[in-house]
This record gives sequence, structure tokens and C-alpha cells, in this order.
Amino acid sequence: MKNFLVFVHKELLHIIRDPKSLMIMILLPLIEILLFGFVLRFEINSANIAVYDIAKQELSTQLIHRLEGGKRFKITVANSMPEAENLLIAGKVKAVLCIGEDFEQKAREGRESSLQLLLDASDPNIASTIETYISATLADFWADSIVSAPAPLLKVEPLLYYNPLLKSVYVTIPGLISVVLMLICALMTSISLTRENETGTMKVLLISPLKPLQIIIGKLVPYLMVSMVNVGIILTLAFTVFQMPLAGSLIMLILVSLLYSLCALALGFLISTRAKTQQLAMMISLAGLMLPTTMLSGMIYPIKNMPLWLQGITMFMPARWFVNILKHIMLKASPFSAYADDVAILLLMTATLTLLSLKSFKIRFK
Amino acid sequence: MNDKIVEVNELTRNFGEFAAVDNITFEVTKGEIFGFLGANGAGKTTAMRILCGLLAPSSGTATVCGYDVASQSEQIKLNIGYMSQKFSLFNDLSVWDNISFYAGIYRMSTAQIKQAGHQILQELELGKYKHRLVSSLPLGWKQKLAFAIAIIHKPQLVFLDEPTGGVDPITRRAFWDMIYRAAAENITVFVTTHYLDEAEYCDRISIMVKGKIGAIGTPQELKEQFRVQSIYDVILALARGEEQ
Repeated sequence: MKNFLVFVHKELLHIIRDPKSLMIMILLPLIEILLFGFVLRFEINSANIAVYDIAKQELSTQLIHRLEGGKRFKITVANSMPEAENLLIAGKVKAVLCIGEDFEQKAREGRESSLQLLLDASDPNIASTIETYISATLADFWADSIVSAPAPLLKVEPLLYYNPLLKSVYVTIPGLISVVLMLICALMTSISLTRENETGTMKVLLISPLKPLQIIIGKLVPYLMVSMVNVGIILTLAFTVFQMPLAGSLIMLILVSLLYSLCALALGFLISTRAKTQQLAMMISLAGLMLPTTMLSGMIYPIKNMPLWLQGITMFMPARWFVNILKHIMLKASPFSAYADDVAILLLMTATLTLLSLKSFKIRFK
Repeated sequence: MNDKIVEVNELTRNFGEFAAVDNITFEVTKGEIFGFLGANGAGKTTAMRILCGLLAPSSGTATVCGYDVASQSEQIKLNIGYMSQKFSLFNDLSVWDNISFYAGIYRMSTAQIKQAGHQILQELELGKYKHRLVSSLPLGWKQKLAFAIAIIHKPQLVFLDEPTGGVDPITRRAFWDMIYRAAAENITVFVTTHYLDEAEYCDRISIMVKGKIGAIGTPQELKEQFRVQSIYDVILALARGEEQ
């Protein structure tokens, strides 16, 4: 046991003595979370829209005030349809709302009254977000409005659960945790293990009384520690800077992060048994793990929108299951049974990867 | 009492169809400096890996320090030291970190590590450089340090795998002084080399040719056996014999 601790100590020295990799491990997650948190947003703050109010009556004026009051829109008043359209074409506004002259009258009579919304769909995300906002604002407006008349008979009333403000940070943070842990665990361990092979020190270690399993675990433990520190940093930022809620249990959150880290470590280990050089290990980890983790975990792009074959591939991404578990714990406070399947899949993946890499580690030296 | 530290008996190791080590038999006596020579690909490395317990033999037996290589590699590992051409030091760790790391994985106590470590620093005059990174040391110093570390746990036997590769003649000579000192402390030295002047420094040498032992004996015996003046000529004679 003592020689094992000596080994872990050495690994920690490697990490601490190498300012470059230490920077990567601590700063990169920080930068990523700030970047993703602030930049990768699907909600819109103060979008420019033009309103052409033909009616110019009490109710329509109130509606415009309501739209302005929400701080989500900057309203430009247009005096004719061509003027409004020109604003849209010039790119000065992202949408045009046109209020017909019989708007108030129809509303009071309880008849269906419609508004026209022109959207600049060159950026579909923004367009659909604006549409959602406006619909939501209208729904609110009807509910509060002095008009006692019943609103249209069939009314869809969206009730948003878990993320009522539709904050995209709530989606990106869990995804980000999965990316950063994958980076630290898989990339760093695969590099560190192949470095040991490249410099010939691995052979000396294998000839020493250290058992191969001790060498492997000794390599992985320090990175597991670093990744837990990173989980701490990311969560602190998530809770403070981005005001992310934690609906479920913190202990459970840490436990699944640990499991996912182990899975990523096993992946890094597997890569190191296959890759001959550090560069190759880095390429495989970056291209083979980072990108798919970002794209296919459901962090940015919904898995349901992907073609079927790609959906099949996402099944093999540990991050997909991890992100799902994180959402359950952080946003929904679901009981364990709700995500037990995902945990089981992660466990299975970790076990398989560990066995696979142990096997090829042995083949290499026997 | 058995004074053989390595006993190899009809040892063979196949990789598929190819016999890297082909039915070799030899012994190494305690305290001697045994030179293990042979061209690249002659099977030296494979034989050495088997003796270090890294590779299982296909057939035949071998014991190192009295332990069987196939079944008792754990005990062997505790009793041997190893140094390779790459010196096996961690460049991004300091001199002292390297010493205490290797001593530690050989299960030495903190007090032993301290004592043995300071002895190394003193002998190699590295005291000033205790906390320097190994990467900043000249090659010759690294090599000496690597050797001192390889025998820090006072093994019965040390394997040196081309320990002087890429080092100048003067430094090589100084390195051999260290080897003699180790042998005087009753550490058996098993060394592979491509430098034939070094072969002359050994008590006994064996020359591997295509997986077999082509010749074995003291340098003097071999020269007499082949009726030549130098080990170089012995190797040439062996190579010619192989061609015919």
C-alpha cells in the first residue's frame, strides 16, 4: 500500500509541477463555463421588433406597453406596412407585429381576433424564440386584460415545468459538466499514460514491485481528484453566477459525477493502450471524444431532432446519459427510480471500458 | 549453497511462428558482471523481458534469484533493479523526487530513503542539484543518477539495458567504474551493450545470434576459442559462421 501512495504522490507532483497542464485543467473549465454560460444562449434579451398598430385603440396600446414592459423587446413604432417591412428587410428589426383595426372590437365581442406576425427567419432559432415570447406575452395579456370577454374557445395554455424562464443555462451547464469532465479525465489520463510509455518509464514501473493494477489506479486517482475539484468549481459558478437551481440531492449529484468521471477515465485508459504517442492520444481524445460529447449529448442540439442513425450513435455517448441524469437531479428533483436506467447504463459502460482496456493493457505487455 | 543467480534452461519464446528466443541455456554466477551481447533482433530484449518477469516463456524454465520467472515474478521484481537506455527518470520531477519515488515503490522506509538518497547525492556530487529538475541535468549525470536509483534498494541483480547508449567514451568509462563498485558490493550486473570495448570489461559474456547463444565464456576464452584478437573479431566470426 505504501508504494501505491508513493505512486499517487508522484502523479500529483507531475500535475502540480507542470503549470501548462494544470492551467488546462483548472482554467479551461472556468473559461468554458463562462463562455458557454454567457454566449451559448437561446433566449433573447431586448430583440428589436416593429409594431404597426392600425387600430390605435386602447386595447392595442395596452398590448404594446405590455410588450415593451417585458424588457425582452425594443419596440419601434411603424406608421405603415411598407415602413415596417422595410425595417425588417434592412435587418433593423427581427419581427413585425401588425395589429388589425378590428382588434379591440372583435376581442370585446369574444370573437377570434388575429394579429399578424412577420418574422425574420434567416436565423430560425431567434425567430422561433421571438414567436414563443410574443405568444406567451399575448396569453398573459389576455388573462390580465380588462376585457371580460372569453378568449378564444380552444386555448393552448403552455405551463412550463422545471425551467419556467426557459433559461438555456439550465441546459448548457449540465452539458458543460459532461464536456469538462470528459476533457480532464479522458484527455489528461490518456496523455499521461502514453507519456509514460514513450519515455520508457512504464517499463521500469512494470519491472518494479508495483502491480499493474496499482499503476493504473495510481494514474487515475489524481485525475479523479482534479475532476472532482472541477465539478466543485463548475457547480459553484453554476449556482452563483448563473443562479442554477439544485432541486435534488447534492450528494447524488456528486456520486453520479464520480461515476461519469470513472467512465471517462476508463475511456482515457483505453485510448492510451491503443495510441503509441502522446500526440495520437491527444488527437483521438479531442476529435473522438470532445466533439461528439459536445454535439451528441443533447447538450446543444436535441437528440430527437437528429436522424435516426445518429440517434443510435448517441446511445453510446456516456455524456448523453449523464446529462440526462444531471437534468433529473438539478432541475426536476426526480426520485432515483426516474434515472436508475441511465445510471445502470453508465455503470455498464464503465465496467465494459475498464475490462476492455485492462485486456489490451495486458496484451501489450505479455 | 547455490551460487547461480540466473539459471536458464532450454528457454524458448515464440511470437507466432517466429522463435525470438530459441532453446537457450546459460547461467549467471552471483557477483559477476555478465555481458549479454548480440545484434539488434537477435533476441536479447525478449530474453531480458522474460528474466524480468514481464513476459512468460513459451517453453523451458528460468530462475532469477532463485525464483521461477513464470510463477514467481512478484518475488523476482523485489530482488532486481532495472535501468534502460532511456534512463527511465522522470524529467519533470526533481532529482530528489525521482530518488524518493523509486525508493518508495521498492517499499523502502522513509528513514531508509533519506539515508540512501543522501548517499547518492554525495557520491554523485549532486547535493546542489537536489531540487533541480532532471531535465536540466547533462546526459552523463542523468545516466549515473539512473543507475544509482536502479540499485538504491540494494537488489541482488541489476539489469542494464544498453545503459551507455549515446554517451561519450569518457563518461562511459566513468559509468563502468560505477558498475565495478556495484559488483564489489555483491550486486550481480547483467548488461546488454553494443560497445565492444565494454564487452571486454565484463567477467563473462554471451553472444546471441538469431535467438540462440552463439558463444559464451570470459572474453579471453572466447578470443582463444575463435583464435582471434578481439571480441569484435569473435562477433565477425560468428556472423560469418551464420552466413555459411
